Amino acid sequence: MKTIITLSIICLAFIATAFGQEKYTTKTGEITFEASVPSFEEVKAKNTNVSAVLEAETGNFAALALMKGFRFKVALMEEHFNENYIESSKYPKATFKGKIKDFNFSELSGEKEIIIKGTFNLHGTDKTMEVPATISKKDGEVWVTAQFVLKPEEFNIKIPSIVSKKIADEVQVSAVFKLQK
Amino acid sequence: MVYNYVYHDHRNIKSETSQLEITAPYLLERFKSNDGAGLLNKTITVTGTITNKEEGAVALDESVYASFSGETTGLKVNAQIAIKGRCIGYDELFEIVKLDQCTVVK
Repeated sequence: MKTIITLSIICLAFIATAFGQEKYTTKTGEITFEASVPSFEEVKAKNTNVSAVLEAETGNFAALALMKGFRFKVALMEEHFNENYIESSKYPKATFKGKIKDFNFSELSGEKEIIIKGTFNLHGTDKTMEVPATISKKDGEVWVTAQFVLKPEEFNIKIPSIVSKKIADEVQVSAVFKLQK
Repeated sequence: MVYNYVYHDHRNIKSETSQLEITAPYLLERFKSNDGAGLLNKTITVTGTITNKEEGAVALDESVYASFSGETTGLKVNAQIAIKGRCIGYDELFEIVKLDQCTVVK
Protein backbone atom coordinates (compact mmCIF):
# COMPACT_ATOMS: atom_id res chain seq x y z
CA MET A 1 0.00 0.00 0.00
CA LYS A 2 2.76 2.34 1.04
CA THR A 3 4.64 1.60 -2.18
CA ILE A 4 1.57 2.33 -4.26
CA ILE A 5 1.08 5.68 -2.54
CA THR A 6 4.74 6.56 -2.95
CA LEU A 7 4.65 5.50 -6.59
CA SER A 8 1.53 7.48 -7.33
CA ILE A 9 3.01 10.55 -5.64
CA ILE A 10 6.13 10.20 -7.79
CA CYS A 11 3.97 9.74 -10.90
CA LEU A 12 1.86 12.78 -10.04
CA ALA A 13 4.98 14.83 -9.41
CA PHE A 14 6.31 13.84 -12.84
CA ILE A 15 3.03 14.70 -14.56
CA ALA A 16 2.91 18.03 -12.74
CA THR A 17 6.46 18.96 -13.82
CA ALA A 18 5.84 17.84 -17.38
CA PHE A 19 2.67 19.90 -17.47
CA GLY A 20 4.30 22.88 -15.82
CA GLN A 21 7.10 22.85 -18.34
CA GLU A 22 4.85 22.76 -21.37
CA LYS A 23 6.39 25.42 -23.56
CA TYR A 24 5.39 26.83 -26.90
CA THR A 25 8.22 28.42 -28.83
CA THR A 26 9.22 30.01 -32.12
CA LYS A 27 12.41 31.35 -33.65
CA THR A 28 10.66 32.93 -36.62
CA GLY A 29 8.24 35.38 -35.05
CA GLU A 30 7.56 38.56 -36.99
CA ILE A 31 7.79 42.12 -35.74
CA THR A 32 7.03 45.04 -38.03
CA PHE A 33 7.32 48.65 -37.02
CA GLU A 34 6.36 51.77 -38.87
CA ALA A 35 7.14 55.39 -38.10
CA SER A 36 6.10 56.91 -41.41
CA VAL A 37 4.90 60.46 -41.81
CA PRO A 38 2.46 61.17 -44.66
CA SER A 39 4.07 62.52 -47.86
CA PHE A 40 7.57 61.50 -46.73
CA GLU A 41 9.50 58.32 -47.46
CA GLU A 42 8.08 55.22 -45.77
CA VAL A 43 9.88 54.42 -42.49
CA LYS A 44 9.12 50.77 -42.00
CA ALA A 45 11.07 47.65 -41.10
CA LYS A 46 10.41 43.99 -40.54
CA ASN A 47 12.17 41.28 -38.57
CA THR A 48 11.15 37.71 -39.33
CA ASN A 49 13.58 36.01 -36.95
CA VAL A 50 12.15 36.98 -33.58
CA SER A 51 12.31 34.34 -30.83
CA ALA A 52 9.52 33.85 -28.34
CA VAL A 53 8.60 31.43 -25.56
CA LEU A 54 5.22 30.96 -23.88
CA GLU A 55 4.92 28.83 -20.74
CA ALA A 56 1.43 27.42 -21.05
CA GLU A 57 0.82 26.79 -17.37
CA THR A 58 2.03 30.10 -15.96
CA GLY A 59 1.30 32.44 -18.88
CA ASN A 60 4.87 33.69 -18.79
CA PHE A 61 5.84 35.13 -22.15
CA ALA A 62 9.25 36.23 -23.40
CA ALA A 63 10.38 37.56 -26.77
CA LEU A 64 13.74 38.58 -28.17
CA ALA A 65 14.49 40.46 -31.38
CA LEU A 66 18.00 41.03 -32.70
CA MET A 67 18.13 44.62 -33.92
CA LYS A 68 20.33 43.77 -36.90
CA GLY A 69 17.53 41.50 -38.07
CA PHE A 70 15.26 44.46 -38.92
CA ARG A 71 15.21 44.95 -42.67
CA PHE A 72 14.22 48.21 -44.39
CA LYS A 73 13.34 48.79 -48.01
CA VAL A 74 15.97 51.52 -48.28
CA ALA A 75 19.50 50.35 -47.42
CA LEU A 76 20.61 53.76 -46.15
CA MET A 77 17.65 53.93 -43.76
CA GLU A 78 18.69 50.54 -42.38
CA GLU A 79 22.23 51.86 -41.85
CA HIS A 80 20.98 54.97 -40.05
CA PHE A 81 18.63 52.91 -37.91
CA ASN A 82 21.49 50.64 -36.81
CA GLU A 83 24.26 53.19 -36.47
CA ASN A 84 22.59 56.40 -35.31
CA TYR A 85 19.27 55.62 -33.67
CA ILE A 86 19.11 52.16 -32.20
CA GLU A 87 22.93 51.75 -31.92
CA SER A 88 22.67 48.05 -32.59
CA SER A 89 26.35 47.32 -32.08
CA LYS A 90 26.10 48.62 -28.52
CA TYR A 91 22.57 47.32 -27.89
CA PRO A 92 22.20 44.29 -30.18
CA LYS A 93 18.81 43.11 -28.94
CA ALA A 94 15.39 44.14 -27.74
CA THR A 95 13.59 41.92 -25.26
CA PHE A 96 10.19 41.65 -23.66
CA LYS A 97 9.55 39.60 -20.55
CA GLY A 98 6.08 39.44 -19.09
CA LYS A 99 3.08 37.47 -17.94
CA ILE A 100 -0.42 37.15 -19.36
CA LYS A 101 -2.93 38.54 -16.88
CA ASP A 102 -5.72 36.27 -15.61
CA PHE A 103 -4.76 33.49 -17.96
CA ASN A 104 -5.84 29.88 -17.98
CA PHE A 105 -4.36 27.95 -20.89
CA SER A 106 -6.56 24.88 -20.50
CA GLU A 107 -9.69 27.01 -20.88
CA LEU A 108 -8.42 28.56 -24.09
CA SER A 109 -10.68 28.00 -27.08
CA GLY A 110 -10.96 30.22 -30.13
CA GLU A 111 -9.47 33.69 -30.02
CA LYS A 112 -9.12 35.53 -26.76
CA GLU A 113 -8.14 39.10 -25.97
CA ILE A 114 -5.46 39.28 -23.32
CA ILE A 115 -3.22 41.74 -21.56
CA ILE A 116 0.46 40.92 -21.20
CA LYS A 117 2.11 42.86 -18.43
CA GLY A 118 5.84 43.03 -18.73
CA THR A 119 9.03 44.92 -19.34
CA PHE A 120 10.53 45.98 -22.63
CA ASN A 121 14.25 46.40 -22.86
CA LEU A 122 15.21 48.39 -25.93
CA HIS A 123 18.30 50.50 -26.56
CA GLY A 124 19.48 49.49 -23.08
CA THR A 125 16.42 51.12 -21.45
CA ASP A 126 13.67 49.34 -19.49
CA LYS A 127 10.00 50.22 -19.67
CA THR A 128 7.14 48.37 -18.02
CA MET A 129 3.94 48.24 -20.03
CA GLU A 130 0.61 46.49 -20.34
CA VAL A 131 0.35 45.24 -23.90
CA PRO A 132 -3.05 44.31 -25.33
CA ALA A 133 -2.75 41.14 -27.41
CA THR A 134 -4.75 38.23 -28.74
CA ILE A 135 -4.08 34.55 -28.25
CA SER A 136 -5.59 31.58 -30.06
CA LYS A 137 -4.98 27.85 -30.22
CA LYS A 138 -5.38 25.97 -33.46
CA ASP A 139 -4.13 22.52 -34.51
CA GLY A 140 -1.67 22.38 -31.63
CA GLU A 141 -0.21 25.77 -32.51
CA VAL A 142 -0.61 28.86 -30.42
CA TRP A 143 -0.84 32.26 -32.10
CA VAL A 144 -0.01 35.40 -30.19
CA THR A 145 -0.49 38.74 -31.95
CA ALA A 146 -0.18 42.29 -30.67
CA GLN A 147 -0.32 45.85 -31.93
CA PHE A 148 0.98 48.66 -29.79
CA VAL A 149 2.77 51.99 -29.83
CA LEU A 150 6.27 52.78 -28.60
CA LYS A 151 7.84 56.20 -28.35
CA PRO A 152 11.55 56.51 -29.19
CA GLU A 153 12.06 59.18 -26.49
CA GLU A 154 10.91 56.71 -23.81
CA PHE A 155 13.85 54.50 -24.72
CA ASN A 156 16.32 57.32 -24.87
CA ILE A 157 16.50 57.13 -28.67
CA LYS A 158 17.33 60.53 -30.06
CA ILE A 159 16.07 61.53 -33.48
CA PRO A 160 18.07 64.51 -34.84
CA SER A 161 15.85 67.52 -35.50
CA ILE A 162 16.88 67.59 -39.16
CA VAL A 163 15.02 64.33 -39.83
CA SER A 164 12.48 64.46 -37.02
CA LYS A 165 9.79 65.77 -39.37
CA LYS A 166 10.14 62.63 -41.47
CA ILE A 167 9.91 60.18 -38.57
CA ALA A 168 6.75 59.85 -36.50
CA ASP A 169 6.95 60.43 -32.72
CA GLU A 170 4.87 57.34 -32.18
CA VAL A 171 6.12 54.09 -33.64
CA GLN A 172 3.43 51.57 -34.55
CA VAL A 173 4.58 48.06 -33.71
CA SER A 174 2.91 44.86 -34.74
CA ALA A 175 3.98 41.38 -33.68
CA VAL A 176 2.88 37.93 -34.84
CA PHE A 177 4.10 34.74 -33.19
CA LYS A 178 3.18 31.25 -34.33
CA LEU A 179 4.29 29.13 -31.39
CA GLN A 180 4.77 25.39 -31.48
CA LYS A 181 5.37 22.82 -28.77
CA MET B 1 25.14 61.42 -57.35
CA VAL B 2 22.90 62.24 -54.36
CA TYR B 3 20.39 59.74 -55.64
CA ASN B 4 23.03 57.02 -55.69
CA TYR B 5 24.03 57.81 -52.13
CA VAL B 6 20.49 57.78 -50.81
CA TYR B 7 19.35 54.80 -52.84
CA HIS B 8 22.42 52.61 -52.85
CA ASP B 9 21.62 48.91 -52.88
CA HIS B 10 21.36 46.58 -49.92
CA ARG B 11 24.42 44.47 -49.20
CA ASN B 12 24.55 41.26 -51.15
CA ILE B 13 25.76 38.80 -48.53
CA LYS B 14 25.94 36.01 -51.09
CA SER B 15 28.56 37.84 -53.14
CA GLU B 16 30.53 39.22 -50.18
CA THR B 17 33.81 37.60 -49.16
CA SER B 18 33.52 35.76 -45.88
CA GLN B 19 35.58 37.41 -43.13
CA LEU B 20 35.90 34.39 -40.89
CA GLU B 21 35.41 30.63 -41.01
CA ILE B 22 34.35 29.11 -37.73
CA THR B 23 32.60 25.99 -36.39
CA ALA B 24 29.06 26.44 -35.05
CA PRO B 25 29.84 25.45 -31.41
CA TYR B 26 32.86 27.73 -31.32
CA LEU B 27 30.85 30.66 -32.70
CA LEU B 28 28.32 30.12 -29.89
CA GLU B 29 31.14 29.92 -27.36
CA ARG B 30 32.49 33.28 -28.52
CA PHE B 31 29.14 34.99 -27.93
CA LYS B 32 28.65 33.24 -24.58
CA SER B 33 32.03 34.49 -23.41
CA ASN B 34 31.21 38.03 -24.61
CA ASP B 35 33.68 37.87 -27.45
CA GLY B 36 31.15 38.09 -30.26
CA ALA B 37 30.38 41.80 -30.65
CA GLY B 38 33.06 42.21 -33.31
CA LEU B 39 31.27 39.68 -35.51
CA LEU B 40 27.93 41.51 -35.61
CA ASN B 41 26.81 42.41 -39.12
CA LYS B 42 29.83 40.58 -40.58
CA THR B 43 29.61 38.01 -43.33
CA ILE B 44 31.00 34.76 -41.97
CA THR B 45 31.22 31.09 -42.91
CA VAL B 46 29.99 28.59 -40.34
CA THR B 47 30.59 24.85 -40.50
CA GLY B 48 28.75 22.11 -38.65
CA THR B 49 26.17 19.34 -38.70
CA ILE B 50 22.52 20.11 -39.38
CA THR B 51 20.66 19.21 -36.17
CA ASN B 52 17.28 20.64 -37.07
CA LYS B 53 15.50 21.83 -40.17
CA GLU B 54 12.59 24.22 -40.46
CA GLU B 55 10.98 26.13 -43.27
CA GLY B 56 13.70 28.41 -44.63
CA ALA B 57 16.17 27.75 -41.83
CA VAL B 58 18.49 25.15 -40.31
CA ALA B 59 20.19 24.74 -36.94
CA LEU B 60 23.85 23.72 -36.87
CA ASP B 61 25.06 21.63 -33.89
CA GLU B 62 22.21 23.20 -31.86
CA SER B 63 24.43 26.29 -31.66
CA VAL B 64 23.63 28.38 -34.71
CA TYR B 65 20.28 29.20 -36.32
CA ALA B 66 20.76 30.07 -39.98
CA SER B 67 17.90 31.51 -41.98
CA PHE B 68 18.13 31.36 -45.74
CA SER B 69 16.95 33.87 -48.28
CA GLY B 70 16.37 31.08 -50.79
CA GLU B 71 15.43 27.42 -50.80
CA THR B 72 16.60 24.87 -48.23
CA THR B 73 15.14 21.85 -49.97
CA GLY B 74 18.47 20.07 -50.60
CA LEU B 75 19.47 20.24 -46.95
CA LYS B 76 19.10 17.21 -44.71
CA VAL B 77 19.40 16.64 -40.98
CA ASN B 78 22.76 15.07 -39.98
CA ALA B 79 24.49 16.41 -43.10
CA GLN B 80 27.82 18.21 -42.76
CA ILE B 81 27.55 21.69 -44.18
CA ALA B 82 29.31 25.03 -44.59
CA ILE B 83 27.12 28.09 -44.89
CA LYS B 84 27.81 31.76 -45.45
CA GLY B 85 25.60 34.40 -43.87
CA ARG B 86 25.36 37.61 -41.91
CA CYS B 87 25.82 37.28 -38.16
CA ILE B 88 22.98 39.19 -36.47
CA GLY B 89 23.67 38.28 -32.85
CA TYR B 90 23.18 36.04 -29.85
CA ASP B 91 19.71 34.89 -28.86
CA GLU B 92 19.81 34.23 -25.12
CA LEU B 93 16.27 32.79 -25.03
CA PHE B 94 17.40 29.75 -27.01
CA GLU B 95 21.15 30.14 -26.44
CA ILE B 96 21.91 30.21 -30.14
CA VAL B 97 23.66 32.58 -32.52
CA LYS B 98 21.50 33.77 -35.41
CA LEU B 99 22.56 34.32 -39.00
CA ASP B 100 20.40 35.65 -41.83
CA GLN B 101 20.62 35.80 -45.64
CA CYS B 102 22.47 32.48 -45.62
CA THR B 103 23.61 30.49 -48.63
CA VAL B 104 25.22 27.06 -48.82
CA VAL B 105 28.97 27.12 -49.48
CA LYS B 106 29.32 23.35 -49.65
